[in-house]
Amino acid sequence: MNKMPFSKIVVIILTAIAVFLPIGLLLWQSFLDAPFFQPGKMYGLDAYRFIFEDPDFKRAFLNSFYISLGMAFISVPLGGLLAFLMVRTNIPGRNWIEPLLLIPVFVSPMILCFGYTVSVGPVGFISNWAQMIFGSVPWNIYSMTSIVVIAGLSHVPHVYIYSSSALRSLASDVEEAARVAGAGPLRVAATVSLPMVMPAMLYSGVLVFFLGFQVFGLALVLGDPEGHLVLATYLYKLTNKLGTPSYHLMAAVAMCIVAITVPMVLSQRFLLRNAHKYITLKGKGSRQRTLPLGGWRWVAAGLIAVWLAVTVVIPIVGIVFRAFVTNWGEGVTFIEAFTLNNFKDVFEQSNLMRGVINTILLGVIGGGLSVICFTFIGLASHRKNNGWTRLLDYTVMTPRAVPGLLAGLAFLWVFLFFPPLAPFRKTLFSLWLAYSVVWLAYGMRLVSTSLLQVGPELEECARVTGATPGQVNRHVTVPLIKYGLLASWLMIFMIFEREYSTGVYLLGPGTEVIGSLMVSLWAAGSIDIISALSFINILLVSVGMGIALRYGVKLHD
Amino acid sequence: MQRRTFLNRIKQVLIGICVVLAPVAVLAAPAGYPADYQKIIDAAKKEGKLVIYATTDTKAAEPIVKDFEALYPGIKVEYNDLNSTELYNRFIGEAAAGGGTGDVTWSSSMDLQVKLVQDGHALTYKSPEAKNLPGWANWKDQAFGTTYEPISIVYNKRLLKGDEIPKSHADLARVLTNPKLKGKIVTYDPERSGVGFSYLTQDLKNNGKGFWNMAKAFGDAKVKVYTSTGAMMEKVSSGEALMGYNIIGSYAFLKSKKDPSIGYLYPSDYTVVMSRVMFISKHAKNPNAAKLWADYLLSSRGQQIVSDKADLFAIRSDIKGETTMAKLSKQLGAGAKTIPISKETVEFLDQKKRLDFLKKWQQALGTVK
Repeated sequence: MNKMPFSKIVVIILTAIAVFLPIGLLLWQSFLDAPFFQPGKMYGLDAYRFIFEDPDFKRAFLNSFYISLGMAFISVPLGGLLAFLMVRTNIPGRNWIEPLLLIPVFVSPMILCFGYTVSVGPVGFISNWAQMIFGSVPWNIYSMTSIVVIAGLSHVPHVYIYSSSALRSLASDVEEAARVAGAGPLRVAATVSLPMVMPAMLYSGVLVFFLGFQVFGLALVLGDPEGHLVLATYLYKLTNKLGTPSYHLMAAVAMCIVAITVPMVLSQRFLLRNAHKYITLKGKGSRQRTLPLGGWRWVAAGLIAVWLAVTVVIPIVGIVFRAFVTNWGEGVTFIEAFTLNNFKDVFEQSNLMRGVINTILLGVIGGGLSVICFTFIGLASHRKNNGWTRLLDYTVMTPRAVPGLLAGLAFLWVFLFFPPLAPFRKTLFSLWLAYSVVWLAYGMRLVSTSLLQVGPELEECARVTGATPGQVNRHVTVPLIKYGLLASWLMIFMIFEREYSTGVYLLGPGTEVIGSLMVSLWAAGSIDIISALSFINILLVSVGMGIALRYGVKLHD
Repeated sequence: MQRRTFLNRIKQVLIGICVVLAPVAVLAAPAGYPADYQKIIDAAKKEGKLVIYATTDTKAAEPIVKDFEALYPGIKVEYNDLNSTELYNRFIGEAAAGGGTGDVTWSSSMDLQVKLVQDGHALTYKSPEAKNLPGWANWKDQAFGTTYEPISIVYNKRLLKGDEIPKSHADLARVLTNPKLKGKIVTYDPERSGVGFSYLTQDLKNNGKGFWNMAKAFGDAKVKVYTSTGAMMEKVSSGEALMGYNIIGSYAFLKSKKDPSIGYLYPSDYTVVMSRVMFISKHAKNPNAAKLWADYLLSSRGQQIVSDKADLFAIRSDIKGETTMAKLSKQLGAGAKTIPISKETVEFLDQKKRLDFLKKWQQALGTVK
């Protein structure tokens, strides 16, 4: 029974290679003094010595740390509160607010930041109103504070997702007891509900904290004017500071990021175990009642509306506006600047058009293939607990610790120097593999959630009647989780549409996607085209969300 | 009326002759080319493909690529639009992996191109068109300058008027004291942009002592630094900034045609002129097609398109038009200072020299003590 079938071991080994080969390359590169493929390279710690002595690295590290800290402090309480309001209280419009809350998860932060520049930048249209009312613009969107606040607000949904699912699995009897004893809603939230889901909130807090170290697009766009660096944009800067690209330095910075995030990813695993322990202690038969908020329900709804306006509406209106004008700013009216040329440019340039088509292909077909792969990986460790599955566990979690930008670079090296894969470098396959590995942890969570819902007795039943493990999977487990897998496909589609950093170094003819094109165009500075692409990207994500809503796919568990 | 129809008639006849002769021109080697040029054309057709790595936007390059494909039917161009560091990274990676790379690279980052040539990645090719280039634009028959693009100052026409606009580098010091400009001047960040770095070092060369005073004036005016021309242009157009310093002239020219807010000028005391550098890769899989491309881009036919349709500036003196060296030389006179294509170009790729310059620059700006 406990002997691992050969096929499962193959799946596990392949997964491990896909994950550890690129990361191993990065590690090796960080101990060299020149690109690993150059003759005459030497081993040494020079790369680390250089970055540790560079004041910019220190600044970038501190900024990343502030962003992480700020994000945790902003998004954890707000996310928790939001979860409480949405799950436990009778605030108005719960059903239609829910999908809106998740928009920041599925829209690329680069797009949001372009939008912020247009709407609340120094001469943005909202800033111009503020100028008229207050005489000056009371905020500076390019300051470090703004970056931290925006990072924090846009990660509220991450905390919300975990806290709300934990809350949903808890019975509300304890809260009712507190109400009977005379506690107000806020007090119930602070002293009863949220402490009960503390493990889930802690888990998401750690998640947000290490996501903070990987912030890239946000700092790339908003940090540019005042030169605020974070670790990921410091990598970019290193290339030019020395004139020629310095892979060894970049790899060393990557290893520093990994060194910070790996322990956190591991601690998450520990926290998750605790989280499950709490939740499973509660019976399923208990009822959940909503808490009446009275007059406070409008205040609460107002708060959510403000958050939505700041995090979603303002940036998206900004970018949509920018996509339809030739130029903007003080004294420019929409009517005279209106144009459709930005879209015409996209449709006329073959690389941009390929980018749009590739993005769709990668999301739809690639997303589907990824879910199939994730399912195989999930089945390989399903209801097993031995050395192999523990290896798989760590393998699956590792990519989370590596920023997409660098994972992409590592995959470029793999496709350049690993002969069997070389022919695929200029095809979408290279991107697909990189995307699947970068989002492995996320995808596996989706798939294993479905897998865990299958009652073990059903599978045992099949085994008893003489089915082989393969037959059990084919005829029992997979058919049962069919809808869960379809939903996962949709989620992966949206995440692949949004991804922007993984493809940056893999970008070439045949492998263009909207996300990486935007990063590249940003370097060249064609804002007109970026806005049009952003608009198309938002449309694609909206289609995904529309399908999810139409067929009642839950956007999170 | 009579005259008009007559002229039209002649025009039609001329066009007719051209149409009849065009295929002939394709079959034979261009006039003035060596007799055995036909061999290169035949070999290139057999290759049937050409891979170009370039920093010029796909949109600007499209007319050039289309015309080349029309001239040599049967050769399909795969044009890769990359930014300059991506291009360099990709090229050295692919060259080392040996799986084929760009046959031709064509980049505005002159120092990185010269470095690649210095490191032995370029094929030596005696182009029959090389004699039509200025001497400085041909380095050892390996690297060729293909354009002649002035580095300009752009400003917001709606918000800056008359005296508020500088005329020269010397004049800039006066203009920068205008409180209206405080925090509203943008330029490249030499730390994050390779081309921005090289334009500043050219300023240092041409402006001498005045350069550090200018840097200090920038610091006092709280200059904002960016990594890309487009981002700066966007800020100037919207009024978030009022003036952009060291902007590539071809972009300024193109943007000013579409965007009524953008004005631009070439400083009268001296104007730095850059050139997009092209070389044929030694590792080229399609070396003959690459040679055809190199010759085409330097030919009068190619250069005419570079100037008229791509809105880059033609480097050949026999091309007439708004965006050509001929026109610019008249405008700038002795003030035109070309960035050389030689060992000198890579001077600041030396790590220590580079970091020293950056440190001094930051000190002058007052961002670092």
